[in-house]
Amino acid sequence: MTRRVLLLATLVFVFLVAPLALYAAGTSEAVPGKEIELRWASIWVGQDSKAAPVNAIIAEFNAANAGKIKVVVDPQPDYNAHEQKIRTAIAAGIAPADIWTMKLNPTTAEFYNSPLLMDFTKSFKGDWKASFDAASVTTSTINGMLKSLPFEVAVLPIWFNMDLLAKVGVNAVPKTEAEFWSLMDKLKAAGISASSQMTGDTNAWTSMIWFSHFAISMGGPKVWSKPFTDPVFVKAAEYTKRMIVDYSTADAIGLGAGGSGGHFLAGRTALFSNGPWYAGRADLAATPFFKNITIAGLPAFGPTSNYTVSRIQANICAVATKDKAREAAIIEFLKYLSLPANVKRIAEASGAMFAVASDATPANHLQAQFATLAKNTKVSAQDLEAALGATATLEFGQQLSAFALGRISAAEFTKLVEAKIDR
Amino acid sequence: MKHAFSLSHISAQILKWTVLLFFLSAALFPLVWLLINSFRSNLELQITSFALPERWLIGNYERALQVASLPRLFFNSIVASFSAVIINVLISSLAGFVLSREVFKGRDTIYTIVTAGVLIPIIAFMVPYFSLITKLGIYDSLSALILVYASVNIPVSMFLITSFMRSIPKELEEAAIIDGCGFVQRFSKIVFPLSQSGLVTAGTFCFIYSWNDFIMAMLLTSGLSARTVQLGIKFFTSQFITDYTSMFAAIIITMIPSVGAYVFLHNRIISGLTAGAVKG
Amino acid sequence: MSSTAKSGKKSSWLLRLLFLSPVLILFAGFFVYPFFFTLYASFTRWRGIGAMQFIGIGNYVKIFADGTFHLALRNNFIWALSHGFVQIPFAALVAMILLREPKGWRFLRTVYFLPNVISTVALTMVWSSLYNVQFGLINEFLVKILGKQTVHFLGNPDIALSAVIFQTVIYIGYFMIILLSAGMNIPKELYEAAQIDGASVVQQERFITLPMLRGTLLTSITLAMAYGVRHFESTYLMTGGGPAYATTTMGIDLFQKMDALRYSEASTVGVLLILFGTVLIVAIRKIFGKSDPMSDMAQ
Repeated sequence: MTRRVLLLATLVFVFLVAPLALYAAGTSEAVPGKEIELRWASIWVGQDSKAAPVNAIIAEFNAANAGKIKVVVDPQPDYNAHEQKIRTAIAAGIAPADIWTMKLNPTTAEFYNSPLLMDFTKSFKGDWKASFDAASVTTSTINGMLKSLPFEVAVLPIWFNMDLLAKVGVNAVPKTEAEFWSLMDKLKAAGISASSQMTGDTNAWTSMIWFSHFAISMGGPKVWSKPFTDPVFVKAAEYTKRMIVDYSTADAIGLGAGGSGGHFLAGRTALFSNGPWYAGRADLAATPFFKNITIAGLPAFGPTSNYTVSRIQANICAVATKDKAREAAIIEFLKYLSLPANVKRIAEASGAMFAVASDATPANHLQAQFATLAKNTKVSAQDLEAALGATATLEFGQQLSAFALGRISAAEFTKLVEAKIDR
Repeated sequence: MKHAFSLSHISAQILKWTVLLFFLSAALFPLVWLLINSFRSNLELQITSFALPERWLIGNYERALQVASLPRLFFNSIVASFSAVIINVLISSLAGFVLSREVFKGRDTIYTIVTAGVLIPIIAFMVPYFSLITKLGIYDSLSALILVYASVNIPVSMFLITSFMRSIPKELEEAAIIDGCGFVQRFSKIVFPLSQSGLVTAGTFCFIYSWNDFIMAMLLTSGLSARTVQLGIKFFTSQFITDYTSMFAAIIITMIPSVGAYVFLHNRIISGLTAGAVKG
Repeated sequence: MSSTAKSGKKSSWLLRLLFLSPVLILFAGFFVYPFFFTLYASFTRWRGIGAMQFIGIGNYVKIFADGTFHLALRNNFIWALSHGFVQIPFAALVAMILLREPKGWRFLRTVYFLPNVISTVALTMVWSSLYNVQFGLINEFLVKILGKQTVHFLGNPDIALSAVIFQTVIYIGYFMIILLSAGMNIPKELYEAAQIDGASVVQQERFITLPMLRGTLLTSITLAMAYGVRHFESTYLMTGGGPAYATTTMGIDLFQKMDALRYSEASTVGVLLILFGTVLIVAIRKIFGKSDPMSDMAQ
């Protein structure tokens, strides 16, 4: 019997310790002159529309650099978990991978303080720099450091289901504020939910975009540097509340992004807002009204007209390394990835928009409309989340519910959000 | 008298079955919903989530099965979960034996501190876990997952196993001591065999946790070599768009082993145990 | 004689230590060290980058002044109580029925446990659709069959918390199996004897099953309350803590603070969560258990 227990104890020991020993034996240090392996913690995997072209580009790069550099994808199949992993690893003082992506906003800009991130400033020059959109590069440069390269960008316009507009005798998107509200009232009178608002999730995504439109239209592209208690934001909050309470589905308060998009997909709502990625959905293409969706900005609600709400959706980061060969390998791969010809392939396959100019031909009429819109607008400003960061956005979504329910006033609402902004 | 008895008997029967059927439907509804929607298209799901498929689509299952290296992910999940369960239950029963059947100073303190671990929201510990695992040099390996799963479940297992072991009558052990059994034999001959249904319960919980865990697997692994099947499910949620119905199909597929494990491990073992159990 | 007794004592100390050590080592690594890490971080200013700056109790002051945290604390209290004193009684009721082995009880036992193995993401989608104010089945039932007004379960801050708590009815199988496995060890002879004495079924449950399960019930209540205290995932997925923070919990607050790279504040919430849970559970044990935590379960 004693023997049996000893056996058990041995088993425990073997299970716990043996794998450690095996692992230790299996790891080998990088030897100079040998092939450099770069691990890319990539979100563009699985069913993501960028997965196929990105994988093809990696395969070509690896083939061209056989024996020298090999890029390996560490699949990050869940976006939220990806962000969680990036911040956990950096907080633990370890780079999450050799290459990874992040959303740049005032919250994630904190990562620029980390010595783990490579500063591209020195190598980002000449043709490489020239191929990037200058405004995105400026946004990504903080305190003189370029610790993340702007890559995927997005405009966040309003989507109009013209079939539903036609039902109330309207055949063009509203050009003035008066036309806009008149359209809302006509839709409401016809029993159609005019818009897909939502206050749920952590950022009240769709309504956050609407709020950004109102604020930028009234306060101009620099609106986010004003205090949130500014009359512009109070007014924008009132408009957003009106959209939620009077012109949206009954479930708007507390609804998540999936529900908001679902209403538009199901043909239940006439107006919606989202980025270009939504245009590439197979289920959207299968809807009977797909051909009749128009992408446009909102009319001017204030002095600023012909504006877009935009953001940099994915910035590329790399690990800071003392190993010159490794650093050169990372730069070489990123240069290859961001070659206009390669960006064009990713853009065409996915419909996404990039900070690197390319003559990509859009895959469908919605993506074409996005491209035209981005080209033709004069003023572009970031959305609330991209401009103010995570804490303020969370408060925005939560208090927007309270405001829409009439539990707090617009002034109280803006005061609460202001209190959570880091300045 | 007899009449009254049968009347109350009937109403008791009705009450009993109402309770059983309510919880039955509460438990079955999500499963049926998931199963039906796994045969529908995403657009159908958006239009209404409570309807039968227009056409029963098998494509969702085909897509689910095509997820990168599903067999490998399954294999990893099985190895990680079972190893974690074995380690967890073994070490918890050893410690549980000492904490429940031995009397010494500091025993209650150890027990209280260890079981207070059930309060810990593991997400709060992600940074220390990440540094611990990388310092041990086992990042991106199954050992990392096994170690974490076995450890994270220690408080729950200790809680269940210790309280179960306490309920074993002292007389049995006293008799064994008179028969000349020492410390080790008291554990191996008396307490361990008699607490098997508690061990199985603890093992089941540990298994469920390990099999369903997503966040640790995502955090502590990077390549396919150590990733588990829960990450496979997530391949349907991409940066912006989630293919829900294919994900449901994947969920149904990945549920099969854990349901199977539950039915076999739990039902069989418990039935076997109670049939031949030593009556206290 | 006395020397052998002494050496026996010594070896039993060694054996005790040997038996305890695997658990203690892993517990130290995965609970004690992270706890002290979190505790230290809670007294610093640290956004997850660089060195921690010690600032004393600043984070605690800030959190205690934060209205969101008060809501989270209240919600956690409700969660813990409803878990312990609603879910467990239901689980016990079902377990007691199943212990009498009604028709199909093996099947029922398996089915009741099933929701515990389904991914939370999928389950929360089921509930979100059930609760939807316009299209949900529950509202359809309320309006069409009962002729009532629609209820905005997840959009009304007064109802949302009850709605997210109610969805845990599907998880009763978890505690049911603890109670079942303990109940199966109750000697059948006790019931046979009681039956001969003319005790009704209810009396048998009241005077045999419940007292025999007392320790297990206390274990289950404690465990359930602990789960209530650290509750996070399904509510986070369903409501993100909203609307207007109505369903937020300390777990959600903690997570969202980490999301905003406010690690030191998140650590503060974590420490307070552990503290709150400990106080709550000690109180419950004082009320329902005997003062010595060991004696209440020994027979």
